[in-house]
Amino acid sequence: MAHLSEGTLRRMVDDPDALTGSDRRHYADCADCQTRYAGMAEDARAAATMLAAPELRLDVASALKQVQAAPAARPRFGFTLPILRPASRPMFAGLAAAVVVLALVATAFVNILPLFQPKTVQPVPVTVADIQALSALSDYGTMTWSQQPQPQVVLSAADAQSIAGFKAPVASYVPAGVSSTITYAAMPKAVAVFTFDAAKAAAAAASTGKSLPPLPKGVDGAKLTVTVGPAIIEVYGNLNGGTTTSSQDINVPELVIAESAAPVVTSTQVTAKQLEDYILSIPGLSKDLTAALKAIGDPTSTLIIPVPIQYATSTTVTVQGVHGVAVGDNTGLGSGVIWIKGNVFVVAGPLKQSEVVKVADGLKS
Amino acid sequence: MKSRDEAFEALFKSEYARVAGIANRVLADPHEAEDVAQEVFINFHGLHSASAQFAPAWLHRAAAHTALNRLRGKRRREKRELAQAPQEASRTVDPQRMLEVGEDRRMVRAALARLAPKPAAVLVLRASGLSYAEVAQALGVGTGQIGTLLRRAEAALRKEVTRGTSL
Repeated sequence: MAHLSEGTLRRMVDDPDALTGSDRRHYADCADCQTRYAGMAEDARAAATMLAAPELRLDVASALKQVQAAPAARPRFGFTLPILRPASRPMFAGLAAAVVVLALVATAFVNILPLFQPKTVQPVPVTVADIQALSALSDYGTMTWSQQPQPQVVLSAADAQSIAGFKAPVASYVPAGVSSTITYAAMPKAVAVFTFDAAKAAAAAASTGKSLPPLPKGVDGAKLTVTVGPAIIEVYGNLNGGTTTSSQDINVPELVIAESAAPVVTSTQVTAKQLEDYILSIPGLSKDLTAALKAIGDPTSTLIIPVPIQYATSTTVTVQGVHGVAVGDNTGLGSGVIWIKGNVFVVAGPLKQSEVVKVADGLKS
Repeated sequence: MKSRDEAFEALFKSEYARVAGIANRVLADPHEAEDVAQEVFINFHGLHSASAQFAPAWLHRAAAHTALNRLRGKRRREKRELAQAPQEASRTVDPQRMLEVGEDRRMVRAALARLAPKPAAVLVLRASGLSYAEVAQALGVGTGQIGTLLRRAEAALRKEVTRGTSL
């Protein structure tokens, strides 16, 4: 019989009963294993002595009060995603722009698209004024979550899979210089319901002194149900950087890969046409955005990617054989690509666009 | 069903001592250990639901890594300060201190800071009383790997401490 493994012998130091019958018989007759065991037991005792620590006297109740009184951890874009150190912000404006784009996508789902199940992606140019104009839509009703988004940082791809219900995508190509450390985050399905409310809309318009176009007939009380996720996000990079002394101070991710079930929007009594017409009548929307929205052939199956034109440019690319949108900043310091192939995929990072597309093409889901 | 705050309070009460203990095992400094423990809980509260199944494993791992990061940061600062003021340092080192318990602890922590993150975390988690299964969960590895990881980490620590004393 082969000698006992070092793992087995080490475990025996902590738990002599952990040995199986055959291991026990081997050990009893094997001088070599007994010598190795003695060396390991000695190292274990030495380590325990060396790692002795001064006594802790804890006041759990007052510690709890301190934690409850502490300001909440900084918002992390819903997930544990990049918080850029102030000094590195200018260098990663591109990545920030990509992140903004992704954040806006969610806004677009909620505010614009009824009866919506996207199968392809389409960039539209937006300005800050557009975003402000569109955000007025939220005054037209009430948004509630029937299933709150609960993003969680998990320990492994397997944990992420158990939350999201699909396998975490695996990158077969990762650019040189990108860390092999991956942090996984996963989110189960989240469902939001937006209920149009004519009275609330009128009150909101009156309080701001703006005149917003009236809600189309029959829309009062209509409900839009928006389902997003489940989703998995993989962040490459040592987020708790080696030089940091605080877990609040984390490094810029080197690569972000995300996969999410395509969002679905259903409506009780609003049609796509009614909402599209209404949105296009909102004052303050730029001509570019209005034209781009009008040009979209079928708004119910197209995921709109708002591209902030002051900060980023977009190009259409082919990824994994389907049509995708690549967003890059004007400095070339960061880029991202988004495409739909069953699920919605995003790859982004402070990398060249060609590298990001190569990662996207090599992704196995 | 428990509210979010009630669930967090229950998690805090059941895990705070252990999280602070892990940090103390790394830092050998009760005051700083509590600071780390509170930081870990604040971060957890901002990110996750206290009723998440992975909560204890997350807290244990975060405690080990946050404390180890602090330890490494502290070591780097000490080295930098010594390099910047070698003469001053040689004047202020008291040979008697080498005999003190505090100095032994300092040397062991310096060796711990030089270990790779995984072996260092295995050592402190196990030394803090976590079972093999709990250590495995915290580190996202199979329970069967813990014996081997622990054995190698202990040997590596001993070697580093010996190397440190012969420097």
